[in-house]
Amino acid sequence: MTRLWWTQIKAVIRLELRKTFFAKRGLWIYVVAALPVLLFIAYAVAMSHEQNRTATIAHDSERHLAYQDLLAIKSGMTKQEVTAILGKPPVVFHWTERRPTGPDSTQEVLHEDYHYSDGQNDLYLGFVDGKVQSINIHEAYNLGDDAVMFAGVFQFFFLRLAIFFGCLGIFMNLFRGEVLDRSLHFYFLAPIRREVLMAGKFLAGLLATCTIFITSELLQTVAFLWHFNPQTRDLYLYHNHGLEHAVVYVGVTFLACVGYGAFFLVAGMLFRNPIIPAAAVLIWEGINPFLPALLKQFSVIYYLKSLCPVEIPVSPGTPGLFALLISNADPVSPPLAILGILVVALLALFVSSVQVRRMEINYTTE
Amino acid sequence: MAVYRRNYRPYSGTQTPEWSRFLVLFRYSRRNLFQSKVQTGFFVLCFLWPIVCLVMIYLAHRASFLAKLGVPSELISIDNMFFFRFMSVQGVLAFLMTAFAGPGLISPDLANGALPLYFCRPLSRAEYVLGKSSVLGILLSQITWIPGVILFAIQVSFAGPKWAWNNLWIAGSLVVASLIWIAILSLLAMALSAWVKWRIVAGALLLAVMFFGAGFAQAIDAVMRTDSGHFLDLGYLMWAVWIGLFKVDAENSISAFPASIALLVYCSICLLLLMRKVRAYEVVR
Amino acid sequence: MSDRIIFEDVSKFYGEILGVNRVNLSIPPGITSLVGPNGSGKTTLMNLMTGLVKPSRGRIEVLGHPTNDPENLFKFVGYSTQFDAFPKGLTGFQFIYAYLCLSGMPLQDAERTAWQAIERVNMVDAASRKVAAYSKGMRQRIRLAQALAHNPKVLVLDEPLNGLDPLARSEMIALFRASAAEGCYVIISSHILHEVDVISDQVILLSNGYVVAEGQIQSVRSEIQEHPTQILIRCDRPRELAAKLFESEYTIEASIHNDGRGLLLKTRDADRFYLAMNQLALNGVQIESIAPADDDVLSVYEYLIGNEEVVR
Repeated sequence: MTRLWWTQIKAVIRLELRKTFFAKRGLWIYVVAALPVLLFIAYAVAMSHEQNRTATIAHDSERHLAYQDLLAIKSGMTKQEVTAILGKPPVVFHWTERRPTGPDSTQEVLHEDYHYSDGQNDLYLGFVDGKVQSINIHEAYNLGDDAVMFAGVFQFFFLRLAIFFGCLGIFMNLFRGEVLDRSLHFYFLAPIRREVLMAGKFLAGLLATCTIFITSELLQTVAFLWHFNPQTRDLYLYHNHGLEHAVVYVGVTFLACVGYGAFFLVAGMLFRNPIIPAAAVLIWEGINPFLPALLKQFSVIYYLKSLCPVEIPVSPGTPGLFALLISNADPVSPPLAILGILVVALLALFVSSVQVRRMEINYTTE
Repeated sequence: MAVYRRNYRPYSGTQTPEWSRFLVLFRYSRRNLFQSKVQTGFFVLCFLWPIVCLVMIYLAHRASFLAKLGVPSELISIDNMFFFRFMSVQGVLAFLMTAFAGPGLISPDLANGALPLYFCRPLSRAEYVLGKSSVLGILLSQITWIPGVILFAIQVSFAGPKWAWNNLWIAGSLVVASLIWIAILSLLAMALSAWVKWRIVAGALLLAVMFFGAGFAQAIDAVMRTDSGHFLDLGYLMWAVWIGLFKVDAENSISAFPASIALLVYCSICLLLLMRKVRAYEVVR
Repeated sequence: MSDRIIFEDVSKFYGEILGVNRVNLSIPPGITSLVGPNGSGKTTLMNLMTGLVKPSRGRIEVLGHPTNDPENLFKFVGYSTQFDAFPKGLTGFQFIYAYLCLSGMPLQDAERTAWQAIERVNMVDAASRKVAAYSKGMRQRIRLAQALAHNPKVLVLDEPLNGLDPLARSEMIALFRASAAEGCYVIISSHILHEVDVISDQVILLSNGYVVAEGQIQSVRSEIQEHPTQILIRCDRPRELAAKLFESEYTIEASIHNDGRGLLLKTRDADRFYLAMNQLALNGVQIESIAPADDDVLSVYEYLIGNEEVVR
């Protein structure tokens, strides 16, 4: 019997994957998964360009500069004082401002912008009438900051929005979509147990979402690391837990697909308009940090956040509400978090299996 | 002689004016709107905030009452900021109302093959879109600029003609801000409704465009260290336009003019999608 | 194990709307037609029989199997529904093949079986095109193919001839007859009463969710006492024959046919009337043919269901 069920599950998966992977109407899920990859590719290209530019400026400088040299410039210094410390500027912009001094009179004010670099950090100086008025230091982007940025994009965009909407689209289609298409009865008229059918559809959806979003996650990681030099990359991957983080992100992506997928599968069965529970869950997940400890546990994102390898630090001056949103005030241990997601998913699948047995074909009421 | 020639006579009575034909669509679409109890309940809920604002206007002119409550009268100030806050809340409610009502406008016609039935009559595609969008237009007007203008009128009745003269531009801003938001929401809802055959998916897409767009905009800003990501956030763009219209002093990274251009581009895209999809035939390959 | 399809005091309510009420049926092998006006409960009965809907009350068994066991039921039941919708993006072949695979059939066997089913309905040329691009008749044929593919013992067909051209209709009718001859149970719902007359072994008449009559059409007709049997007699001297027939107590009404060479009679006792006719024939009236004029599904339908509509 188990062998028959497995054969049937494979048949369901094949049929569903054809509808998900190769259908035009599934295109938007690829777009949703590809957008963060494109973003990180754009970032890598921009950073490479930036690094090349900075290196060129440092190369064109009159003398080799150190970070301390850049820090030595103070407001009010003259051009001569600045060039004495840093040398002739490799990049200079001049522009004139016509400042009104009276009803019919204006005064010409000469502005000059100097750009220096030590090869990694950039210094921008703004001169007005020969004196330093503005000082701007762009520090080099380091892997630590970028890892936090990656973690932020992963937690707040990829998990909460990309995977959420992707799972909504795929899993909601599995039953509710068939009802709207008036094609569910073909499954119910086949000699297959309804629970087996449900399992097959869930696994098909899981396979599709995991393939799409794990691929996206891996490509994001590659794009994110691309612009760093090989030594920095190797140091991060093999000595600073980078590879471990990448594997954990893949695992969290998988668990997100399991959790959200099971929820949307049962929502598609129980509700004629699953968008209402989806919107409710979106808002619930959004306000999760503000909920009491007991209510927090009824959330997929609560467990997923605890599993993320990089914690996002709250910078000083962040408003209280945002700080609460960013921080993970009540983290759960990884084994409990994984168990939590699996329990939520199994519960949803149990309800689905009960509901699928009760389902009747009555398209006219849809 | 063929049988039909004996009895058939074409209609020769009076006809309704051509320009009013689109109102037929409006009448029938609107009838379906309030069949849902949830939708009707939400519509009623949309008037809660205007009522709160009404109470605030009343209290602002009852300094003695406020003094009895121990509340300083300067706390409630009826100015451009007041109406900006009114518009912000009603704008969110208008979006949610569109998410309820918008998806059911064109999707069912597509799914049930009704478009050929419409276009084999003397009804153009533009009239069809106008008829459908008028449903949303009137519905959203009822919860945005109409109560806003009523509140303004009530404030004028309390504050007097001098206040009215100095602040008449706020009423204009209310109307313009509402109409821009209604136009965007209507076009977006209808374009998405025309693009997918399922009402439910159209609703999901509308949510996705707003929430996903806002999230992706934040992601772009965080990754690329820029503010240009906000051009993908429709809600933010509208907010920037409102800041300009209400002359409010608020921090925003995009000014009103570029935000308006971006919104115009989005409207054009929605119109293009509508033109592409609202047709009398469908080709299946 | 029972050899019948059994409905035992079955009722189905959709909220407050009646689908079927207190249906008791025992359907034997052969071609059984469900006949009734729109909304009478034909599709509901078929959906109940195949487990797509559950009865509000009562019990249903199909050859001894309950309808809530799809894993076993659909090994020998095939259902062609009225829904003109298909899974998106599939060709005709993929549609049949995929659902054969769902039954656990090995891939090669499923492929071979799918092509056999497609050949049976003459859809080989169109099998590699998407179903969405099919005409109405082609969609109907591919639906039939899907129901027939696994050679079911019980074939439930909801308006199977809908949209088919005359040639396709006769081919399908021949197919149904062949299946019935092999001992299959073929349950058809149809509005085309003259075809129901020709192909059915028994009929079930439904009206407003109730079974109004069931059985062979002739025996059903004979039980409708309130409507005298109508008999059409083709002869050379209908007036003379009519005068003679009025002498017997069995004739209630007689009318001359429009062409003047026939007589339409109504009688309360058809058997005795036929005996009396033998006497008359021996008395020199040239009778070309005698046949019942209302011994068909259409007449029974009008008497049992049509009258109800008139009363309403």
